[in-house]
Amino acid sequence: MNGFAKAFFRGGGLLAAVVMLQPVVSASVDDAQSFALQAAEPYVKEGFQVREDYWGGDLASGQKKAVRQQLFKGNEYWFWLGTEVDRAKVSVHIYDSDGKLAEDPDGWEKGHFAAAHVTPKTTGSYFIIVSVEESPEERTHWALVYGFR
Amino acid sequence: MIPFTRHLKLSVILLCGLTLRAHAAQAPQRIDIKELSKTVEDVVVPLPNEIFGALNKLGAVNWKAHVRTDKGTTFTERPRIALLLGTVIADGFVAVQAEDAPTVKEIGQRVLALAKGIGVGNSITPHAKAIIEAADKRNWEGVRQELDRTQNSVQQAMNEVHDEKLSQLVSLGGWLRGTEVLTSVVKEHFSPDGAELLHQPDLLSYFQTRLQAMPEFKLPIIRQIEDALIEVKPLIDVGNGRIPAESVKKVNEITTRLGHGIVTRD
Repeated sequence: MNGFAKAFFRGGGLLAAVVMLQPVVSASVDDAQSFALQAAEPYVKEGFQVREDYWGGDLASGQKKAVRQQLFKGNEYWFWLGTEVDRAKVSVHIYDSDGKLAEDPDGWEKGHFAAAHVTPKTTGSYFIIVSVEESPEERTHWALVYGFR
Repeated sequence: MIPFTRHLKLSVILLCGLTLRAHAAQAPQRIDIKELSKTVEDVVVPLPNEIFGALNKLGAVNWKAHVRTDKGTTFTERPRIALLLGTVIADGFVAVQAEDAPTVKEIGQRVLALAKGIGVGNSITPHAKAIIEAADKRNWEGVRQELDRTQNSVQQAMNEVHDEKLSQLVSLGGWLRGTEVLTSVVKEHFSPDGAELLHQPDLLSYFQTRLQAMPEFKLPIIRQIEDALIEVKPLIDVGNGRIPAESVKKVNEITTRLGHGIVTRD
């Protein structure tokens, strides 16, 4: 059974495990943030303003977490997820307040980086779901940053 | 021997697992949000310029008309300083939109003075300097970035000394000032898309929860904000409906009243 299914059955559904996160101040999450910012770097040249604030934490392989974020119609957003664990695979996806996948199709996942793009159709709350799909570590630190233009 | 029920359970799990594996690379088209936590905690509060950016796309805004020159009173109560600091940082974003260098420079100095007032001046000094330098060069993107860094540094410094509540008041002050300016702009040139930018019910609930957890702050302004948010909630929490011009006007009146209360002594 893959990591996704494991998490689904162990936790009584991935969404049951969802919690809101607070910015975590630890060296490893800071490292993860550096990677997330690295993923964001090319987008700054395209006019995206990257926020200084970020979310972070650690997850076991196959686990997911969600954060709720207010987005504004008219803006365009990228969310970048990073971890310092080289061989980890991470993903990030964006859902609207009805639980419908809201992201644009140009999101990407490249090993320990992932990104999701959204041009909100309405102003309101969105759910950003982050996941550590695979990792050689028991717990994998992650950080999520976002930018807008 | 594996009992039948366990065998059945394992088979179902395996089947589901295989099905999920086939779709693992793709995100599900829909998730059940009822399973998500209803409480908005520790959100990253949007910066005023995030809203201002969306406003700019709806049409030209006379930002100069929204620049505030009133420097505000000097307070000694830390919660009041925190609220004021948030509004002053928000004013910085307005001044950047207006490309008003002298005001940005004043705001840089004011931010530093307020940060010192709540004991986090050291972490702000380099940012205040950078704001002033960037304003001198009319590097507006640089000023925006430094204002964001300023707010982040102030809040990190507060969190480090377990002053999370003050940190939340900084965010609240900024959000109130941002909402005051947003409603002021939309009120002047009403459009449904402009009004929709006010649709932030979860963020409002987040601030309500935070204020309820601050009974020790017995300042009238804190309680006035708490009461005002109750008034604002039904005006912006319209589900899929539209926010009418009347509601925008009402929210503007409320946030203007609060804004005045934040910068002046009780």
